[in-house]
Amino acid sequence: MKDLQRRLREDGVFVRAVLLAFERDAFLRRIAWRNVWRNGRRTVVVVIAIAVGIAGTVLSMAINFGMVVQMVETAIATDLGHLQIHARGYEDDPGLARRLDDGGRMGIAALDVAENVTAWAPRVRSDGLLTSPRASAGVSVLAIDPEREARITVLADSVTQGAYLDGEKRRILIGEALAERLRVRLGSKVVLSATDVRGDLAGEAFRVRGLFRTPSSELNRSTVYLQLEEAQRLFAMGDAISELAVRTADRDRVVGLQRHLVEELGEGVEVRNWEQLAPLLVYFVDMFDQMAWIVYAAVFIAMAFGIANVMLMSVFERTREIGVITSIGMSGPRVVAMVTWESLFLVGVGLVAGFVLSATGLFLLRDGIDLSRWGEGLNSMGVPSTIVPVVRTKDLVAPTVVAAVTGILAGLWPAVRASRARPAEALRHV
Amino acid sequence: MLELRLAWRNVWRNRRRTGLTVAATVFAVTLVVVFVAMAAGLHEKMIEDAVRLQSGHVAAAGRGYFEERTLDQFLELDQELFDELDGAPGVLGWAPRVISFGLLSKDTDARGVGVLGVDPERESSVTTLAGRLKRGDFVSAEASRGIVLGERLADNLDADLGDVLLLFSQSYSLETAYDLFTVVGVIKFPDITMDRSVAVISLADAQAFFAYEGRASEVAVLAKDADHAAAVAASLRTAIDGDAQVDVRTWDKLMPDLVQFIFIDDAGMYIMLVILVVVVGFGILNTILMSVLERTRELGVLLALGLRPGAVFRLVYVESLLLAGVGLLIGLAIGIPIVLYLQANPIPLGGDLAQATELFGMDPVMTWKLKPMNPIGSCITILGVAALAAFYPALKAARGRPVDALRSV
Repeated sequence: MKDLQRRLREDGVFVRAVLLAFERDAFLRRIAWRNVWRNGRRTVVVVIAIAVGIAGTVLSMAINFGMVVQMVETAIATDLGHLQIHARGYEDDPGLARRLDDGGRMGIAALDVAENVTAWAPRVRSDGLLTSPRASAGVSVLAIDPEREARITVLADSVTQGAYLDGEKRRILIGEALAERLRVRLGSKVVLSATDVRGDLAGEAFRVRGLFRTPSSELNRSTVYLQLEEAQRLFAMGDAISELAVRTADRDRVVGLQRHLVEELGEGVEVRNWEQLAPLLVYFVDMFDQMAWIVYAAVFIAMAFGIANVMLMSVFERTREIGVITSIGMSGPRVVAMVTWESLFLVGVGLVAGFVLSATGLFLLRDGIDLSRWGEGLNSMGVPSTIVPVVRTKDLVAPTVVAAVTGILAGLWPAVRASRARPAEALRHV
Repeated sequence: MLELRLAWRNVWRNRRRTGLTVAATVFAVTLVVVFVAMAAGLHEKMIEDAVRLQSGHVAAAGRGYFEERTLDQFLELDQELFDELDGAPGVLGWAPRVISFGLLSKDTDARGVGVLGVDPERESSVTTLAGRLKRGDFVSAEASRGIVLGERLADNLDADLGDVLLLFSQSYSLETAYDLFTVVGVIKFPDITMDRSVAVISLADAQAFFAYEGRASEVAVLAKDADHAAAVAASLRTAIDGDAQVDVRTWDKLMPDLVQFIFIDDAGMYIMLVILVVVVGFGILNTILMSVLERTRELGVLLALGLRPGAVFRLVYVESLLLAGVGLLIGLAIGIPIVLYLQANPIPLGGDLAQATELFGMDPVMTWKLKPMNPIGSCITILGVAALAAFYPALKAARGRPVDALRSV
């Protein structure tokens, strides 16, 4: 027991001495830097390995995260907005039975004076059956105020043929994919059948005003857009609406706005932000993050073996030399500090090379990676087919920290061994 | 043989260094085997789920159906077709379906739905639809106006067993079709979109409802597995003997989204594995390079004694391959049992991950699959990397001039 205590105390003293030498001794740093370059070829090989590992992880993270960002942006910009206000109970049971009977006036009044709101748009959502002379398809009906909707979503810019809704009566926008399936063209007549709020079957004929294509294949396949008043008439719902979609200036402050609106509007409504509206999207983002850590771990463990190996080699081939310097008075802690500096320099040079390589890669990919050949698979996940890499600070800091820690740990074992060697034995070593 | 023995001894001269390099290789090989098997399992499951849920491995339909998917393109269900299907080798089961759309309403609620008319007995020879029943029964064989709803669809319509729903659509003859159906069952589709929007009725009901007597939209065919789909499609094409009215497709043509998704997913994974292998490759390069450089004198002696440069080159090469080979064997010895265990005991997923898998229309289970290409590919990759890494050091060793080498310390 006594023995153990004494050893622990001695180890504590040793560690403190190492830290002191590590921090204070500029001379050690100079020696360490020179030692790193004594075997230039070996150092260069490790540096390349580290650089490839760093650049590989940074770039693949950036591409992955770019994909996630675009998925989120697409969902927000094509449909969700940042916030939506519904009547109570809509989340569990979406349908015409849950509607804002005042036409959303209360919500609008609150939104008009709230901070951070850039636009809002009223909508009616329901399901219907769209029939052409050739075929029919089940569709989601989204009725919009064209002018207000244009400030929430990119629908107006997604029209590829014909024109956006502009108040002309009995016009409908449908996706290109749906048009193909129903075999209709611009100006074709289609009949939309649906049940109204009383449960009666209602139908009305529309002409195709425009065709759209968004990065979401679900929208392209199964959503049609009408003008708000016409849907309200079709569904016999007066001036009631299903939802208010809201866009904000600052997405990060959505939760604050949400809290404010819940207080203002009370129990009669549900206010949900985009994360709550599309929980799957959030799971997806989380999944990408978890995958990222697995990738980091795998690559860095492989790198650690390389670093440890080089440090071991460089220490063992200097057994005699280290013996000489300890016998002429260099202390053990200083040897450890010196070797630790060596591994830090090695990793540091690797990191710098890695970041230069990453920056080059990102520069080459700055216009995005065009994956349109595989576009449908991406679109069915709601991702546009050109992916622009996005680098987060976190994705740069994490590899830096992990590499530095890996380097120190990998160098520590040989360092401690070197410092413990007895000079007399070391000198006898060839 | 002598070279092999010499190389083996050389590899183990510096045990610590070799040990670390081998450890890195073992680590990489194990990861590669496990990850590749995970992706293979995931993708195979996605394909099987999709195939066993909807498309079948192969589908036959009226010409043009796969492009248009309307009632205008149909198959005549006659004895001749049945005989052809039964006669085609490799066909394990087949099921005719009528597929169209309708508006399904209960009280004030209505939903656009995909209507799937199936023959329950035949359907169970291809898909697992009936096995996914949550409550109630599957549709019966004869016309009975029973309807089975996806679970979310039933929730959204607030409908339960025994409720009567109005189905409204357009028939083949372009007339308005509507009829009342009674909910007899609720089914859980793993795919969210399907769960929200598919209603199943019996084939007989569907044919009556859509004025489609004796016809079907498609016949789904089951093969042994996805890899046999092409062969079955070919034998089917032979069986129908060039009937221009029938179009036969395999699952990958029926679900191009899925094929593309798998491609992208694979690409992401292989990029990661390549980075990993490259990092390990540099480790091997460094080890071999160091061992050559510290043996300059010794190799010089060998050359001076008359060993040919080619033999020295081979020696270093064999060392590198042995080094990688040891790591490779241990890595496979660790990775393969892990994968085989996981393959036999799939991991059920819970919570958030379970919901995320539903996005892809899958059951929340993580499966692994060891394909022969997986260990074979790992061997080729690792040995290939070792061969590449050895090139420079081997060249350096073989090119050394004995005189210079002997002078070096």
